[in-house]
Amino acid sequence: MSKLATWARLKSPWVLHFNSGACNGCDIEVVALLTPRFDVERFGIKLEPSPRHADVLLTTGAVTKQCAERLKRIYDQMPEPKFVVAIGACACSGGVFKGNYTVAGGVDKVIPVNAYIPGCPPKPEAIIDGVVKLLNSLKAPKTEAKVNDSK
Amino acid sequence: MLDFLLIFRVLVFPGFTFILFFTLFCDWVERKIEARMQNRVGPAVAGPAGILQPLADFIKLLTKEEIIPRDAKKNIFRIAPIIAFSVMVFAICFLPIDGSSAISMSGFTGDLIFIMALVTVANFFLFMSGWASSNPYGGIGAARVLTQFLGYDIPLFLLALTPAFLAGSLTISAIAASQYLPFILLAPWGFVLFIIALQAELEKDPFDIPHAESEVVGGLETEYCGGKLAFLHLTRDVQIVLGAALVVELFLGGPYGPVFFGLPAFWYSLWFVLKVLAVVIVTEYVTCLFARLRIDQVLTANWRMLLPLSVLSLALTVAMATYVYPMVV
Ligand code: SF4
Repeated sequence: MSKLATWARLKSPWVLHFNSGACNGCDIEVVALLTPRFDVERFGIKLEPSPRHADVLLTTGAVTKQCAERLKRIYDQMPEPKFVVAIGACACSGGVFKGNYTVAGGVDKVIPVNAYIPGCPPKPEAIIDGVVKLLNSLKAPKTEAKVNDSK
Repeated sequence: MLDFLLIFRVLVFPGFTFILFFTLFCDWVERKIEARMQNRVGPAVAGPAGILQPLADFIKLLTKEEIIPRDAKKNIFRIAPIIAFSVMVFAICFLPIDGSSAISMSGFTGDLIFIMALVTVANFFLFMSGWASSNPYGGIGAARVLTQFLGYDIPLFLLALTPAFLAGSLTISAIAASQYLPFILLAPWGFVLFIIALQAELEKDPFDIPHAESEVVGGLETEYCGGKLAFLHLTRDVQIVLGAALVVELFLGGPYGPVFFGLPAFWYSLWFVLKVLAVVIVTEYVTCLFARLRIDQVLTANWRMLLPLSVLSLALTVAMATYVYPMVV
């Protein structure tokens, strides 16, 4: 039974995209995933409109202090099991905005992050790779799912 | 003995299990067609050519956490999606699939009207599910379901009467059985209008206003997650199968077709499946071709154009059936 559930989870990760203060560079790359060239629907990945439907939260951009609370609320609204992928240098650590007086830091300052995909912005291939690695880490549930993709 | 047969027919074939898997299959066909129309590949990893994708989505949703918002009307929130789904499946059980319907001996005079009424009830439960979630987007989506419903229900009903007139009966099995010449040939105008009205009933483009993602997040399913969301998705897919099956029964000659050898029931089911798939492909094609209308445009179009046209089509059909066809056929 749990094998079936894992299979289903691996084959149908629905994602929600949240911009917590990105320059829009990473967002364009996330949207590029849906285009015919990359077509993530091949893997069953669907962009969902509501946090209640999503399994994976794709966050882009450094977390501004104003946005931190909203990001946390969005995260709380997602049903378990849920995963967070930080896309771009800003989301991973704060990037060029680190130390700014309006910025709280990377996404992991606010909510637990399962996978980091650095790059400014990361290529769509790198994002797909990161999500796939995150999903594969589901197969062996005990290990901490920390994937570092240095593309 | 008879009871076992009835239980088998209702639960396995052509009843619940068959409908469930056929629905998931139709969902896959739709997603593939949409992807190909957009020059994409579509689901490709889950099973051969992604054919298990809808099943994977369904199972995944069933295994997710169930969240009920604090302000939601909890009981309605819980049961409305399941009731809507059951009513839809119940309606399909009255359609002749392998020559007779799932609940055999259930064909009675006027079951066409009964099925249309069931569709109405199911839509009402969809509205209830959105309204019970106490979310502004869910509420707007639910209100839109009803508003749109006001527009297309009467034309759809009038157009469903076209084949009834040609067959001289309100019983679906009689309508299907009387089509030596499919009614699409005798009343093509009715068929075209019926497809348009159906597009609105199924909430597909250009009429997918109730769940327009870019406007109302997820429409009535915004607050739903887990198993309840799975049933809402399934309700929509079953509704598409039901609509396509209605077109097949009313205009395309029902499940009847050439029987080559062996059991007629097998061939009838095959023809039924193929015809339903053809209709699903047509509706999905229309969906891909058109952009979304606004809700006021939909209502105006339905009342100013679709309603008069469907009355006209009915009149034309009656005239043809009375004066012209008896001489020709
Ligand atoms: S990582 Fe680069 S592209 Fe992405 S949000 Fe930050 S600055 Fe923009």
